[in-house]
Amino acid sequence: MENAVKFEKPVRSKRIGSMLKVDFRRMLRSRIFYILIACALVMPILMTVMMSMMDGSVSVNPQTGAETVMQGPENAWQNIGTLPGGALGGDEIFMMCNINMAFMGVAVFVCLFISDDFRSGYAKNLFTVRAKRGEYVVSKTVVGFICGALMLIAYLIGSVLGGAISGLSFDLHGLNAGNIVMCMLAKIFLMLVFVSIFTLISVAAKQRAWLSICGSLGGGMLLFMMVSMITPLGSTFINVVLCIAGGAMFAFGLGAASKAVLRKTSLV
Amino acid sequence: MNAVEIKNLSKNFGPKQAVCGLDMTVPMGAIYGFIGENGSGKSTTEKMICGLIPTSGGSIKLYGKDYTDEAVRAKMGVLIEAPGCFPGLTVFDNMMLQASNLSIPNADQEVIKVLKTVRMEGAAGNKYKNCSLGMKQRVGIAMALLGDPTLLVLDEPLNGLDADGMRIMREVFLDIIKDGQRSIIVSSHLLGELQKVATHYGIIRHGKMICEMTADELDASCRTYTALQSAEMNRTKMLLGCKYSRVEEDEAGYLRVYDMVSPEDIVTYLYENGICVTEVGTDKIGLEEYYIDLMKGGK
Repeated sequence: MENAVKFEKPVRSKRIGSMLKVDFRRMLRSRIFYILIACALVMPILMTVMMSMMDGSVSVNPQTGAETVMQGPENAWQNIGTLPGGALGGDEIFMMCNINMAFMGVAVFVCLFISDDFRSGYAKNLFTVRAKRGEYVVSKTVVGFICGALMLIAYLIGSVLGGAISGLSFDLHGLNAGNIVMCMLAKIFLMLVFVSIFTLISVAAKQRAWLSICGSLGGGMLLFMMVSMITPLGSTFINVVLCIAGGAMFAFGLGAASKAVLRKTSLV
Repeated sequence: MNAVEIKNLSKNFGPKQAVCGLDMTVPMGAIYGFIGENGSGKSTTEKMICGLIPTSGGSIKLYGKDYTDEAVRAKMGVLIEAPGCFPGLTVFDNMMLQASNLSIPNADQEVIKVLKTVRMEGAAGNKYKNCSLGMKQRVGIAMALLGDPTLLVLDEPLNGLDADGMRIMREVFLDIIKDGQRSIIVSSHLLGELQKVATHYGIIRHGKMICEMTADELDASCRTYTALQSAEMNRTKMLLGCKYSRVEEDEAGYLRVYDMVSPEDIVTYLYENGICVTEVGTDKIGLEEYYIDLMKGGK
């Protein structure tokens, strides 16, 4: 009778697969995911059209009387990065509304996604039947990474649409389509660095979403300026490799740290 | 082999010791009523069994294996504090998420089956946030039942349930343990309800197990008393108090004599002192009174 109780160890690949399936299903049903993707798609269109309309307009400071001439974008790719030949880059002309804002947007997604697990009590159900903390971290990192990558792609599409609507030039000034692909790939892989940081902060903050969002945005801001340097519009294969290496290093290192945090702290 | 075997378990939250040197044994096929005051360490112990908080010392074995063993953990069901559901998703979707976590084949059929068990199949399409407290509790229990668990850990599962809900839960619990291999740990303050199903009890106080017993042992320990009413209750109480060692008035206004004495002797004694007994009977104290007595004794 006693020997009749048999326990089967779940297969690792099946375990991770099922966890990913759950997280993707949740991602596709979460409102914040669609809001962020919509923002990433609409924002460059709005910004490009608005800035183009304001191009050349003069604003006067009522106190000093100084005149400022508004400068609009000249090229559709300026949303993505600085073009050779002097045209301003997206980070300069669009300030925080350039493509790199996806790195901040994903912070909100990761923090809410993970804090929801703990707030709803879902984490209790999950960790009772799935003892492996590492797999949880992997799953959240992958989902955050995919969300970030989709935001970057949405922003690229939005930039192209915005450029076309505003009648901006698509001239690459000596660069080629390969550079843009490399730039996007580099940004996508760099996303892994950010997502790993946000995951670590979120698992440490658990249900305190406000804490994880503030921490992640603060931490993200420290690295934000390096994004345009590491992933310029003229990116090559080297930039991509660099970002892959950085992404892998951060994902493994911070993933291990996240796992240790989950192992050593209360999950409720 | 026991379903759960805990030795010298302890848990500190900073300087506060929530659980200290707790020993607990849950046999296979048992419904283990885990009883204690608020803050006595019940939930902390349950969370440690489920691996949700790290232990500060001691050992936990589930079916003879360490509690971190993946194979055993995959066959656990849990309801601690609140069901782990996303408010914006439907009951069915929430169940499906947990079914996916458990890699259950034919998950949708299994989810419907479990929802039927707790009579919630009609509310499968409702958003979880729109469910009433009792419905949420049923969903939590249904979620714990997913994947045919071998060990269920339920913290206050009867809270918010109506009479029908409690009856259903009793049936579900009894159905689960009927093969003699599955076990349930239930903590509840509804001791009367717990007594209807529990086969074993563990009473915890200040983080220590003060008493473990079977339902039969509890039954044997529960004293028989004589309850009576008379026309002159104050005088009756005084007279009985002089002759017997423990006489108390209960909430219903009956005088209870806990000494080992027959009702006939009491009635005769009172009659000899000019008191006419209007009602008399014998009964046994229940789990609730036993527990209160135990707690009073401990103080």
